[in-house]
Amino acid sequence: MHTIRLLALMLLPLAVLYSWQARGHHAFSAEFDKEAPVSLEGVVTKVEWINPHAWIHLDVIGNDGDTVAWMVEGGTPNTLLRGGVNKNSVPIGASIKVRGYQAKDKRCAPACKANGRDLTFSDGRKVFMGSSGTGAPKDGSDPRDRR
Amino acid sequence: MEVFNQLIYDFAAWVDTHQWSTALHESFYVYNWVESTHVVALTLSIGMLFLIDLRMLGLAMVDIPASTLARRLSLPMFLGFTVMIITGLLLFYAIPVRSAQSLWLRIKLVLLFAAAINAWLFHRRMSTAGRSWDTAVKAPMRLQVGASLSITFWVLIVICGRLIAYDWFDCRAEPSSFIAALAGCVAGQEAF
Repeated sequence: MHTIRLLALMLLPLAVLYSWQARGHHAFSAEFDKEAPVSLEGVVTKVEWINPHAWIHLDVIGNDGDTVAWMVEGGTPNTLLRGGVNKNSVPIGASIKVRGYQAKDKRCAPACKANGRDLTFSDGRKVFMGSSGTGAPKDGSDPRDRR
Repeated sequence: MEVFNQLIYDFAAWVDTHQWSTALHESFYVYNWVESTHVVALTLSIGMLFLIDLRMLGLAMVDIPASTLARRLSLPMFLGFTVMIITGLLLFYAIPVRSAQSLWLRIKLVLLFAAAINAWLFHRRMSTAGRSWDTAVKAPMRLQVGASLSITFWVLIVICGRLIAYDWFDCRAEPSSFIAALAGCVAGQEAF
């Protein structure tokens, strides 16, 4: 009898934990909008090479000619290094193209926010900049998706 | 409140200027190790703590005298606590400003304080309660209340800790003035 009650008591937090586990580390859906894919071409203004997520800031020139500041979230510095990109490969002033998903918070203050999926350098080299298993849409940018 | 928040911000911004803080924040391995160790230590300490609490409630290992179980499990529990506190401080040291202005961390610290008071009361009650109930299935009511509170506080502490990762109430997200005051947002801050 005790065993059954104890089991029930332990299963409850497990169920809660499992539902979190399924959403992964720093769940994508909590902050980002999978219905709002973005493709940004701009000039790097700042790089925050920090844990648990790196941020690349860039100025994007919109269709109306106005400059819009964006900040794009990547994986951890470690993830990015393994993916073939380090702090020095994204120098300030470099032209890059980033594909990703905009944040649910679309107030764009102080900058528009997005979760980055892949990053293309001006020489055409393309790297995956997200984290695997965060619940982000499978858009083919994550090389681990194909396994 | 404003003066208090400004003080905390000044302290966090000062920590942020440390070279080692930045190094940890930008590290390739150490931050990840510290974070993982924090969670592993948490499972150890809370695992032991919950077994003791469940024993008091008559839900686990009822055939072992309560004081014996508590004595045996407290060493690994305190070992876990120690590692958890050290790694927790390191996590704060790596990201001082954002952490100091995290609503979740602030709630978590209040809960940690409550859990500490509860643990102290529990310990005192246990030493005054004698040993007549030691082999009984359930501990005296006062200890059962303490055990239930302990489980509740720690479940909430872990949830708050997990939620620090999310930016819903970050000062950057410009929350309402009430939330901003609770989270400790300071106008004109530049460090992150």
